[in-house]
Amino acid sequence: MTAGEMSAPPAPAARAPGAQERARRVTSRRLVDLLGHAYIWFVLIVFVLPFLTLLAYSFTGPGGTYAIQNFQYVLGSFGENLWWSFRVAGLTLVINLLVALPAAYAIVRYPFPGKRLLFSALTLPLYVPGAVIGISLVLVYNFTYHLTTSVWGLVLAMAVGTFPLMLTPIVVALKDLPIVFEEAAACLGATRWQTFWRIVFPLIGPGVSAGLMLSFIIVFNEYLVTLFVHPPEITTAPLRVFNLVRTAGLAPTTAALAVTMQLISFGAVLLFFRVFGTRYLKGTYLI
Amino acid sequence: MAEPLSLPLLSSAAEVRRRERNRRLIGLALVAPAMLLVVAFLYYPVTFIVQMSFTLGSSYLSPQGPEYSTANYDAMFSRYLPNVLVTLQLAGLSTIVNLFFGFPFAYILVRKVRYRDLVRAFMVFPMFGALYIAFGMRFILLPGGPATPLFQALGIPSTAVLYSLPSVVFAMSVFTFPFMVMNIGAALSNVDPTLEEAAACLGARPWQTFRRILLPLTRSGVIAGILMVFGWNIGTFAEPILLGSMNEQRALAWTLYQRGVVQTDYGLSSAMSVVLLVIAFAVSYFSLRYSRGALVQ
Repeated sequence: MTAGEMSAPPAPAARAPGAQERARRVTSRRLVDLLGHAYIWFVLIVFVLPFLTLLAYSFTGPGGTYAIQNFQYVLGSFGENLWWSFRVAGLTLVINLLVALPAAYAIVRYPFPGKRLLFSALTLPLYVPGAVIGISLVLVYNFTYHLTTSVWGLVLAMAVGTFPLMLTPIVVALKDLPIVFEEAAACLGATRWQTFWRIVFPLIGPGVSAGLMLSFIIVFNEYLVTLFVHPPEITTAPLRVFNLVRTAGLAPTTAALAVTMQLISFGAVLLFFRVFGTRYLKGTYLI
Repeated sequence: MAEPLSLPLLSSAAEVRRRERNRRLIGLALVAPAMLLVVAFLYYPVTFIVQMSFTLGSSYLSPQGPEYSTANYDAMFSRYLPNVLVTLQLAGLSTIVNLFFGFPFAYILVRKVRYRDLVRAFMVFPMFGALYIAFGMRFILLPGGPATPLFQALGIPSTAVLYSLPSVVFAMSVFTFPFMVMNIGAALSNVDPTLEEAAACLGARPWQTFRRILLPLTRSGVIAGILMVFGWNIGTFAEPILLGSMNEQRALAWTLYQRGVVQTDYGLSSAMSVVLLVIAFAVSYFSLRYSRGALVQ
């Protein structure tokens, strides 16, 4: 990374070019650089264009006027959906953490056979299409587990799909943590439990937060598995958006809900960047 | 450097062995909850639908017991073959689009751009989900939307663009673009920039430098990116429904929802998921070989 950040020194030319030639080269290099930056910005604008148009649309009142009322719906009739989204995301994060933290610690610090295979088996859910997770769980919930009416069915379905996102940053953080701290704590008479909670956990905190942030934004915006396994009385906000877009056309109020969801998620990402920077996302989605 | 830690309590070889075994057991105990979660909510359900895919319709529920047959797979290879092909086509096309636009993007990002955190902040928007991208694009392209004047100027009906293959592929590409950039960018940042300068000094043209130096050195990243994007796009759901014509709406994930949940043809729906799964597992197998294996020795 750092090597790439250094600007390349100008390549020495075989023969000393004339001043005119040099000026031409400098201009063309500058042009190439400019085009490069333009390309980056073009792609980034394409990325946020759907969001920006929805943002503009969500402020449209009847007859093309400016209106803020659409956002009252978000807290009013969509408030329940938003609340469910937060609750499901919160419960899923707790489960993810409880499951991923010991697993990551064991994978990095303890010897056992078939570790690589195990890690693959644990991260495989990331690669299984959401619709497949959805249909297999809805069948199993109906025929075997009888979980169709409980919020836990939904939460566990979210957890199995997203806990690899929690596992990977914690594994990376633990790998980067030298073992001497734990050895020192053990020498000074700390128990394993004390060593973990007072030494290891604070030191891998940023990695844990990265996992929490990643799984939050995925679970919070998840509509596909939810569509399959949601109990009849629970509709999360992204699922509501999906249903409304499919059946009721494009209302500004739906846009307002979608915009709110994205803004909350973006807020979580920005908060994380602000506090920890981006290096703890190594090995995950965001470089 | 301090002396290596010596443990005075270890006296005999038997003691050492006992400790080793204990550590192994503790390790397994710590992984147990995670294993339990994936086995109960992924691997068992998957074996369940594999079994289900050999039963007819919803006969699994019938009091006479399930009727076993391979009719679902026969249907997959005759009636539903176009669905499989459309799914592969959509995933393949969006992978190609991503590779074509993603490599230069990753290169410029790694070599030239200093405001990388800003770029990362922008790049999280697709991560919030294909649903919002498809929703936004549908709004832009719908008659009366922001793009209407453009379509009028060009003289093409906007529905011809809205309900079409390119708009679906475009939305899918936006959704998975960061995956491609992440994989290629990680590989590129490990390539020493002096290699490119050396190539330039030795008279290589930019294309030659790319073809002979950059591409071979970033091969694993490129392959990992291709597999990852392809694997994610196989399960495309919202984009074909919101942006596609009848042709694209045959994508497997949506069809299996229709057949399974709406029409309760569990057998056929399971067979479709098994086909998706086989593709996804094959992709993830190669993908793990190329990228993730590094995390665990």
